[in-house]
Amino acid sequence: MTALCPEVRDRFARYAEDRLDAAQRRDVRDHLRACRTCAEEASAADPALLFAAMPPEEVSAEEVSRVLAAVRAGMELRRAEKRLARSPRRLAALGSAAAVLALTLLLPGRLERPAGRTAVGDAAPRPATAPMPQFLPGAAPAATAERFPAEATIYDWNPGNSRDEPRVVWIVDGSLDI
Amino acid sequence: MELVYSQDRRRDESERESDRRLAIQARDGDLVAFDALVTRKTPAVLSVARRILGNAEDARDVAQMVFLRVWEQLARYDDRYSFNTWLYRIATNLSIDFLRSSRSREKAHGATLYLVRARQEETSAETSRGAEDGEIARLFERVSATMTGKQKAVFVLREMEDRETREIAQILGCGESTVRNHLFNARRVLRRELAKIYPAALRRGKP
Repeated sequence: MTALCPEVRDRFARYAEDRLDAAQRRDVRDHLRACRTCAEEASAADPALLFAAMPPEEVSAEEVSRVLAAVRAGMELRRAEKRLARSPRRLAALGSAAAVLALTLLLPGRLERPAGRTAVGDAAPRPATAPMPQFLPGAAPAATAERFPAEATIYDWNPGNSRDEPRVVWIVDGSLDI
Repeated sequence: MELVYSQDRRRDESERESDRRLAIQARDGDLVAFDALVTRKTPAVLSVARRILGNAEDARDVAQMVFLRVWEQLARYDDRYSFNTWLYRIATNLSIDFLRSSRSREKAHGATLYLVRARQEETSAETSRGAEDGEIARLFERVSATMTGKQKAVFVLREMEDRETREIAQILGCGESTVRNHLFNARRVLRRELAKIYPAALRRGKP
């Protein structure tokens, strides 16, 4: 029993009724953490005081590091999800643009590669100057170099050499920002 | 004692202002400031979540979700208001949601989950805290099991985390009278449940 005990015990009822100011509440808690006899008295008077006297939760530096690492990983995951959510649209836009350009090129007649253009990529580029009688017979107008965008690169697989294989033409326009 | 309280109060105010400044820097894209904020506020968030959920593992999951939510919503943080209140609001709401879903899981899985959790808590409590504090924490978990999420959150914030009634009202987005009601009902639940376990000890106290 200390000199503070009677004063603190007098405050139990007002504590339970929430009629103490912040400083007085803190005094009661601090005292209950230090004085086992008063803590027992307090919990009999008001069970809430049994739990109010609990010391603050201890959190180790290791736990903080684990949370921080998990949060960083979560942030990275969210960024990756956002990138992934954007990329299918970009691919679809690129595919549509390529298809439109390919149709524009194929329907009028011959496929021509503008002079001075080089193809890049894994597929081996072939000269795009061969006529396409199997697709577009007759005197179709020839495609001219002016019809291609300045930045376009043309990839042509099987340019009219075989009927058994489909012909695939990709025109990639580097000037399009998609 | 009053002098000590004044010093504590000045220190709290200075920390709050420092948190707010870090939050503004993080909102402007400063990841170093965000890391500092996470490091500084993790103990407070873990403490609240652990007390509401009564489970260290769940509390860690919730703390991670809290800071991810903060990072995603920092652009919406209004720096005229306390960062801590905003942070506690996110932490409390996520903890209450988690508590509701874990109670549903417990209903579904019944005794097995309870036993597994009790064993885990026994181990972690005894390694991280004194045995007596661990016992009181487990007792709180047991007697608060029939409280609603809001009652438990109010009790934890007011009685264990020492938050003012006005601040709790801001955190939960309700009126101060609602906070007092939740606190009153939480105390009633505690008294009733404790009386079932320790009838003799409480006979001397108020009904």
